[in-house]
Parts: sequence; C-alpha cells; structure tokens
Amino acid sequence: MAPKSSSPGKEKLIEDEEEVLQAVILADSFNKRFRPLTTRKPRCLLPICNAPLLDWTFESLALAGVQEIFVVCRSHAEQVKAAIKESKWSKPGSGIKIVPILTAKETFSPGDAMRDIYTRGLVTSDFVLVMGDLVSNIRIDEVVRVHKERRKTNKDAIMTMVVKESGARHRTKARGDSSVFVLDSETSECLYYEAVTGYPKTTIAHVPREILAAHPEIEIRNDLIDCSIDVCSVEVPSLFQDNFDYLDIRKDFVHGVLTSDLLMKNIHCYVAKEGYAARVKDTKSYESVSKDILSRWTFPLVPDDNHPGGHAYDHERGNKYIAKDQSVVLARTCTVGNNTLIGSSTHIGENAQILGSVVGQNCRIGTGTIIRNSYIFDGTVIGSECTIERSILGANVTVKDGSEVPKGCLLGEDVVIGPSAKLKPFQRLSKKRDQSDETAPEEEEDEDSDLEAVESAQDTMPKTLGADSNALVWPTAPGEDTDEDEISNFKNERFMRLGDDASDLDDTDEGSESSVSESDSEEESDSDVEPSALAAPLDSSFQLNLPDGLPRAQSEFQTEVKQSIERAFAEGHSVANAALELKTLRMASNVPIKSVREAVIAEIVEKIQVVEGGGVAQRREIASVIGRWGSLIEAIGGMDAVETISSLQIHCASSTRLPLFGQILAALYQDDIVEEDDIREWHKLPASRGEGLDKENEVENLKKCWSIGAHMIKQFDEQDSESEENDSGDGNAKGDTGDEESDEEESEEGESAEEESEEESEGEANQVDDKEKTTEDRDEHRQKKEDLAATEALEEEEEEEEEEDSSSEGDEDESEEEEPTKEAAHAIGPAAQGHEKTVKGEVTAPVAASKAEGSSADEEDEDDEDDEEDGEDEEDSDEEDSDEEESSEEVPAANVIPPANLMVEKDTIVKESM
Amino acid sequence: MSPDTFGGASQRSVENLASRLRRRQVVGSRATALETLLVLRQVVSKARFSNMEQLVEIIRSVGRRLVEAQPKEHSVGNTVRKVLHHIREEYYTATGTNAATAPQTFSIAKFVLLGQPRKHTVAPKLAEGKATLKENDPDDPDSFARGLKPVLMEAIQDVLDELETVYDNVSKNAKDHIHSDEIILTLGMSKTVEAFLKSAAHHRKYTVIVAETAPTYGGREMAQSLSSAGISTFLVPDSSMFAIMSRVNKVILGAHAIFANGGMFATSGSLLAATAAQAHRTPVVVCAGQFKLTPLWNLYHEYGALDFGDPNAVLGFEEGDLVDKVEVVNPYYDYIRPKLIDGFITNDGDHPPSSIYRLIKETYDDEDNEL
Repeated sequence: MAPKSSSPGKEKLIEDEEEVLQAVILADSFNKRFRPLTTRKPRCLLPICNAPLLDWTFESLALAGVQEIFVVCRSHAEQVKAAIKESKWSKPGSGIKIVPILTAKETFSPGDAMRDIYTRGLVTSDFVLVMGDLVSNIRIDEVVRVHKERRKTNKDAIMTMVVKESGARHRTKARGDSSVFVLDSETSECLYYEAVTGYPKTTIAHVPREILAAHPEIEIRNDLIDCSIDVCSVEVPSLFQDNFDYLDIRKDFVHGVLTSDLLMKNIHCYVAKEGYAARVKDTKSYESVSKDILSRWTFPLVPDDNHPGGHAYDHERGNKYIAKDQSVVLARTCTVGNNTLIGSSTHIGENAQILGSVVGQNCRIGTGTIIRNSYIFDGTVIGSECTIERSILGANVTVKDGSEVPKGCLLGEDVVIGPSAKLKPFQRLSKKRDQSDETAPEEEEDEDSDLEAVESAQDTMPKTLGADSNALVWPTAPGEDTDEDEISNFKNERFMRLGDDASDLDDTDEGSESSVSESDSEEESDSDVEPSALAAPLDSSFQLNLPDGLPRAQSEFQTEVKQSIERAFAEGHSVANAALELKTLRMASNVPIKSVREAVIAEIVEKIQVVEGGGVAQRREIASVIGRWGSLIEAIGGMDAVETISSLQIHCASSTRLPLFGQILAALYQDDIVEEDDIREWHKLPASRGEGLDKENEVENLKKCWSIGAHMIKQFDEQDSESEENDSGDGNAKGDTGDEESDEEESEEGESAEEESEEESEGEANQVDDKEKTTEDRDEHRQKKEDLAATEALEEEEEEEEEEDSSSEGDEDESEEEEPTKEAAHAIGPAAQGHEKTVKGEVTAPVAASKAEGSSADEEDEDDEDDEEDGEDEEDSDEEDSDEEESSEEVPAANVIPPANLMVEKDTIVKESM
Repeated sequence: MSPDTFGGASQRSVENLASRLRRRQVVGSRATALETLLVLRQVVSKARFSNMEQLVEIIRSVGRRLVEAQPKEHSVGNTVRKVLHHIREEYYTATGTNAATAPQTFSIAKFVLLGQPRKHTVAPKLAEGKATLKENDPDDPDSFARGLKPVLMEAIQDVLDELETVYDNVSKNAKDHIHSDEIILTLGMSKTVEAFLKSAAHHRKYTVIVAETAPTYGGREMAQSLSSAGISTFLVPDSSMFAIMSRVNKVILGAHAIFANGGMFATSGSLLAATAAQAHRTPVVVCAGQFKLTPLWNLYHEYGALDFGDPNAVLGFEEGDLVDKVEVVNPYYDYIRPKLIDGFITNDGDHPPSSIYRLIKETYDDEDNEL
C-alpha cells in the first residue's frame, strides 16, 4: 500500500472510529471460466466497458460509503497490488483506504480466503463481503443499516445476503448457476437455500417440513439474482475457521448454517427492489453485464457519468458512447450501432460496422470489418474485411485481413491470427510462448502447467488460424478420459459461456422451463393452490420441479464404494483400513449407512467366484472370501445382522450368485457375523419372503433364499434339541438382538414349528449326516457350524426338488401365516407412523403421491437417513421398521394429517422458473 | 490544479464533493449550488495567494474540477462563476480600480463595453490612497490575502444568503401572476414552484392541476404538498395534459437550467406541457432562481446533456425477457425552446426569454464562461 494513500485513510479512521464500514473483496475467481484471457492477468483486472472489474467493484462500494477495503488476492497478486496503487483510489481525497492482502497460493476456495481473513484478524466489526467482479449501484449502506438494526434484537442474525429480483429468465441471471431461496415473507429470513444447476437439470428442491410448520408464510423463489454481496458479522470468518470443510460461501456455508441444528444462526436476505447488482462470473455474464452497463441499468455507474476508469465518454442517441477527447477517428462511411462503446484513440475504417460492442482504447478496425456483440480490449488491431461475432478479444490481439471469428471465441492477450483465419465457434486461443518467454516468473507455476498441458496437446498449428498466427488452441470440450462429474460440470458451464444458448441441453427438459405448462403433480408441488395437495404431505419433503440431483448423488456414491472396495480387494488392505475408508466416504457423501452395507455386501458376494461344478471347491472359495472380508461388514458399524441377511438375500435374488446364497449364509454364520437368532429373525420378516415387491422374478428368487434359510433353522432346532449345551452358547447372541423382536418371536414361534414339521421329511438325509457329525463333536459350537456348511452343500444339490416343494409350501405358508404377518404389521404400524412424524418431519408436496411412491422411494430413504444422522438413538431401532415398511407397504395418505399451520397461505407467491 | 495552492483539507473537501456529485449523492440544482458554495468558502478561507490572478485561478481550478465531475449539474459552474464575479467586484471596490466598469445599468453601449476583456491587473497597482492592499508584496506575500479575505468571505456570504432566500424572493410577487379562480397547471416536484404557488395561495383562491410526471412521479408529491397547504388540487395523468389544457389559464414550470438563448432544461414531461400550452395559446411561466442561469445555449445539440438515468423506472429489471429486447431511455430533462416560454420569474425580477442573455451577462463575467 502506498503510504500516501494510507495516511488520509488513517486520519479518517481516527475521525470517526466507531462508524468505519469495512469491506472485504475476494479478488480471485477460484475458477477458470475466463481462460485463456486470465492466464496472464487476474480476472478482476479484465476490463469491462474499458475499466477494470476491480474498479467497478470499488466504485460500487464507494457508493455505499465503505471506508476501508481489504482486497484478498491470490493469483497474479502483484498485478492487483500494482493496479490498486496506481488507481485513483490511492490518491488523497478518495476517502477510502484500500489494503491489498496477498493470500497463499494454497487458497483454493472462498472458504480458504475467509479462513485467511480470520487468521489475520482483519475485520473488527460488521463488514461487507463481495467478490472482485461486482458491478452494483445498490445502496449497500442501507443493507448494512438494516443488518445492524436486526442485530440489535437478534444476535444470531449473522449475515444478510443481497439478492436482486429478476424475472424467470433474465440475461443477467445465469441459468447454470442459480439458486432457490426460501424466505420468510415477513422477516425476510432465509430459511433454506439450495443451489440449482442447469445441467444436470435440477428439477426438485427439497424444503424441510419444519420450515413450513414454523413459518405461516414463506416465499420460495428462484427468480433472484444472487449478487454475492453479503453483510457479515464478525462471527462469519470464525465460523469458516471452525468448519474447515466449508469451501463455497453459498453451497457450503449458507447451506451449512441453515441446515445445522447446532449453530442456531440465522441468515437473512435483502431483496433489492431498486438498484442493480450483478457479478461477472463467467463469459456469459460478462456479456450481459456489459449490456446492462451500456443500457444504463447501472446508473450512475455509466460510461458518460461515473466511469470507474476515469474516462470521459460522450453519450449519444442509441446509447453510443464515444470517447470525449476527440481522439476517436470514425471514417465517414462507418456504422456505429446502438449500445456501443468506443475508447479513445481508436480508429474505425471505412464501411466498418461496430454493433453492440465495446472497443477498447488505441484499437484499429480495418475497412469493411463487421464487429457484432463483441468485446475488444485495448490495443487490438483488426484488419479489413473481418467478421467478429460475440467474442472477447484480449489486449493487443491482431486479427489480420479477411479473418472470421464466430461466436463464443476467446482470444488471449497478444494472439495473432490470420490472414484469412477461420475459427470455429467457442474456440479459445492464447499466444504460444516463444523461447524468450520461458523465463516466466516462478509464481505463475500453476498457471503455466496448464498452459504447458495445452501446448503439448497441440502438435501442429491448425491451418484455419492463418499463416501468421502465433496462437495455441485450447481444447473446447473435456477429453474422453475425464469422468462423468467433469462432463456434467462442463455442460453446466456451457450455460455460462458467451454466445452459447445451450439449446441442445434444453431439449430434453423443456418442461421445467415454464412453471405454467406443467403436469398436475408439478403444479401441486410448486404452489399451494390445491388443498388436497396439502392434505397428503406424506413424503418427506416439499418438492419443486427443479433438476433431479439426488439419484445421481446416490449412484455416484455407489460407484465410489464399489471402487474403494475393489481397491481394497485388489491391494489387500486390512479390514480396519477398508472400513475406515468406507466410513469417510459415507461421511463425505452424506448417505445412509444402509447404502454402505448394501454396497459392501454386494461387492463381497460378487467377489466370490462361481466355481464350476460347485461342491467342495465352491465352499472353499466362499469360506476364503468370507473369512478374509466378512468382518468388514461388521467393521463398517451400525450394523444389524438381520439386515445383513436381508441385504444378502436381496442382492443374491438379483444376481447370478443366487445358488450360493445358502453357502454364503452358512459361511457368515461360521464366522460369527450372523448368529442363529439373526437368521431366525430374518426368516420371520415378511419382506424376506418377498412380500411387497412387484417384480415376480425377484420375488421368486427371494422365496428361494427364504426357504434355504428355513432349512438352516430347522437344522438349528434339531441340533438344539440334541445338544443342550450348544444352546447356552447361542444365548449370548440372543442378548444382542433388540427387544421388540422378542414379542414378534412369540407370534412366529408357532410358524417355525410348523415349518419344522413340514420340512422334516425332505431334510431327512441331511439330518442323518448331521446327527452323525454332531454326535462326534457335541460340545463344540464351531463344529456345528462346519456341519451346517456341509449341509448347505448338500442342500444345493437338492435345490431342484426343493424349489418345487417350496413353491407349494409357500402357498400353504401364506395362508397360514396371514395372521401373524398382520400382527407384525400392526406392531410396526404405530411405530412407523410416529417415525414418519418425528423423524422425517418433512413434507413432500405430493408428487402424485401414490403413483410416484415407488420411484421416489429412494429419495425418501435418503431423507430419512439424513435425518437420522443428526438424530437420536431410538431411531436406530426404528430404522429397520421404517425401511421394511417402505418396501413392503404404504401407509395410507389419510393417516398422516398435516399440522394446521402447515397450510401455506394461498397468496404466498411461489415464483418458480428454470 | 496543484495541491499546494490550497490546503490538504480543502483539497479533500473538493474531491469529496466531486465524487459525491459523480455518484449522484448530491442532486438538485439548489443543493449542488449550496454544496459548491460551502466548498468554495472553505477553499478561499484556506487559500494562500499574493495577487488576484492566483486567487481567481484557485477558484477556477476548483470549479473546473467540480464541473468536470458532474457537467450535468449546471448550477455548480454557475455558482463558481457567480462567486468569481462577486470577488472581482469586491476586489475592485477594495482597490478602487476600474470599479466603474462594473455594470450598474442596462444599456447597449455598456454591453458592448462589457464584452471586451478587462485589463485590470496587468501592472502592479501603486498604493492608492487608503489602499492597504498590495499585490505581490515581496516582503510579505500574504499581506494581500490578509487584507482581502474578509471582504471575500463577505462576498461569498452574499451569494449564500441569496441562495438561501431564493424561494422567498421568487415568490414574493406571486400574487401578481396568479389571479383568483384561475386554473394553473404544473408538473414535477419543484421547490421553487411549490413555494410560489403556496405564497400565491395566501392572497388568492385558485385551482392547481398537477400532472403525475412519470416516471419520477414527482407530481404526486407536489399535489400532496399543495393540497395540504389548502390549495384545491387535482392530480392527473400525464397523458391527459393536452385534453385539460383548454381549461388551464397558465402553465407554471420549474427549471433545471436556463440557457442564454432563453431555452431551458426542465423535468421530463415539461416539453409535453409546453407544447400543449402553445397549441392552446396558454401562457407558460417558469419559476427559477438566478443560480440556474447558465451561460450556455447550444446544449440541446448534445444528446447526452438531457442526463439519461436508469431505465428501471420505466421498465422493471425483473422483466427479463424485455430487458434483452427493448432499449429503454429515461431522460431526466426535456429541452424547452425559448419560443415555448412566455416568461421567467426569478428572484431578480421577471424576464422574457429574449432578455435572459442580458441577465446572464450581468450576473457573470464573460471571461468565466469557460472555467
């Protein structure tokens, strides 16, 4: 900081110590959307309407009466520092003290920057947090006043976000990067925040039910431009410090604070009715903000009035701005269209057309050249008969005669193309470095590595760039080897790309574009017009027809688990390590433990090789896999052996490993992963017999598994009756299982007895084997297990007959067991309902409630599980009930009556759009 | 403008005002005139100079800075000119030189004379009579400033007083312009017009029709204020102005700036009213303080001089689809040709548009037309 400038600032500080309004500018974009324009220049120094973005930001803050600004810069920090030093802001009398803060290269996110601010202890009172690419004329001081007023009564109101109303579609509102705000209409408290992406298209926003219950009137809005102007209290940086995983201010911090049960902090929104605010966060918004400036939405921040660069422009009819100093040379026959800005000392040739564009200073535009909706930085020379459309040309670019630059191109500094270059749309070019440039400063390492990668990728100069070109072509789309995540990210970024209307991405989901032409279900879900819709808020959350993000997260997690287990198998990790890895994975993706279990079991089962011919070899294979990895199932924790069996059964039913079910189960039993009681318990569950499932094929398979289980139980019983002492060994296991199971057991007792009698005849042969062996080694519980293994092997061979038998058996069973099943269901019923109310506590605006049940089951599960994460212990026991229930039967809608105050006011405006 | 000619504090206050003008934090011609005057007073009181040229240069540099910051607030430049004029007068009386050149009466001969550049400070004057004022005294460079400052401050105070009483002075003859049972049409929120009408209401019973004056809707405020003062008031939409005009006896307008040719800038919608009035041969009278007299006349060539504001008032920003397709202009002012105006009522008497140039010549010194 120049001493010259800091001195008046200090005087100012002394003058009115109590009322210094501080601001923090994060002058780094933390992304690369402007590359290659930003390879040698930070984004905040890119000119927009011929003044660096940072100056617009300063001016926006100065309008609000901010007196002290900290500029946090990371990439090209020295340039930013120098720019601040040279700007008018460092002159005496500017009334603003600007302090550049150079943060470490390791600062990769706004969250890191906030932590840095905290460690440096920069802010001492409420401050304004903005990004270094803000253009605004909103009276931020008014927001600060409102914020401080609120703080007097509510100490927990830590932040006020400034949002600007825009329509459903607006050029300044990025489609790829908007958000859903749920606001309390009265206090404008932000109750819920969810980011919305354009691709994959978000179609559903989940609003927790408590919010609807606690607030009589809410607004759910997707029509707000998030200006990234936050009035923060001093606690905010410390919250970032405490939560080291907060990266993004919106997606992590705001979402985190609002959903946290522990923090109890509030965030408010300030919906700016007047004024303008927008961020230049991508090339598309670069264009729209430029247009907004030229059509004077940012008044008084307009080129002819308060140009942040200090240039003077004449304002002419049709919002043309020509530099005032008489240095612009316009040929007599040239055309300057509406909404155009032409910097000083620029020459426009004969018959040239400049339409809706910004031309920097000292540019030369040749004769007959057409420039349409493009942004041309200082010192660029464009030859004659060129066409440039919707592109950004960096400083000192040379475009030689007869070249064509179609829409969406970005040309970095000093690039030369042509003559007669024909670029492709969305091509990005930067200057190839020659040998002398190799001595680039060390600090730019990370930037350069990217550049090098691009350089190495390009072996020959494409002919389309023209003979004299020095340009390097950047790849336009992610390579084939990039994972799906990056592709979707890239597609989402396309919404933010200059000139890209991404219409091909739109085609698939035109429906959610307008909230009017929607199916019934969506109409119900995005507003509260239909009372009937409210009467049945069975599902777990209020859904807006926004992009579908959830299933993706789920499947993403599944593949992650799969990969990590495969890795563990392949590299022979210890069980403890593998379990730890899975645990962290679960935490990171915030998925229920059930999914982890399912995935682990599935993986282990798949790991088992199917040995041709079965028999002993097969058994050995199973034993070795289970012996090595079986304990992983236990190690991931939170497990119930009964569920393990269920998962195993479900997996086997849909897998080629179906015949191995019995053997695997036996192996698990032998390794003490499941106990006899667990098997009995599982066997009694209605779901185990495949009830409540639609797919016939699977039901059949499930039934097969179930009957295998029945076999085992029979054997247990026989052995028990034979050997009393073994029973005592099992007693321990009994203790482990839950209490409620015992009452169910009573009802099941008779059932299992019946089964025994029925199965006695078929099991004859096995029993003989058993008897022989058990008599040999009675006292050893272990031995019993081995026997079982043997039995299973035999069983397998008999499978064919058994199947037939069991099917007939099944019919009988069903009729016989109807009673007990009902009882069980009854027992589950109230618990499950209570569970619905207390645990889920979320409303889903009925997505065609009953119809969509099956499809939305996944989401529900997730929500349940999410809640349980925070939740109380009792839920663990409830969990299986609810899970079971969801798969088996639906609680009728009428059972759950919504609380009265859940009725959202009819006139609550639900502005919805995408 | 070099920082050492006047103190750092003055410099800062100038910069402060400049940036507030640029950011439109000070708006309205009277408010800007007042702020300018206060800054000038501070500058003069702190300034160090040893002869008249230096002082004039200091004031002009401040004026340039401020006008550059906001060329659309004409009263800034006008105030600086006025101060310069007064300072020169005081200087002449103090030194007793060429005081006779100061215009006292109107005559063509005098104007010709006035048009010539003055030669007053070319040679250092010999001390005359009681003259304690000595320019460029090598022994005591500050003596000139010391001697002159009290009268200078007095001169600035005069201008300040004039500004503060401008509304009263404009409206003191109100009853001569408004007669009983007349119907007056006005528009926008002009403090001068408001004071004028209220003052007339003490003596006469008459009716005012106020046009809403979209998109600022200053007319609503005006109607409320007049109505609360007991004047029978009607608020009408702008579109009905022409239809109503046949019933109107007089149109009274406020002004943003009055130019040497007798034309003026006034809040947008005024041109509509004035044109309608001309169609019905209704007289158009403008109420304005003298500080609005601007020694310019060709501003209407400049498109941007109308001061185009934020389109938000015309078309909401939330109309996303339209914002992209429609160009919206929202000028603050209309230029009204001198032919459409019948008379100006100022704190310095009533004048037809054709004599405004004389008023301007009287009020300012020619050499200051370009600051």
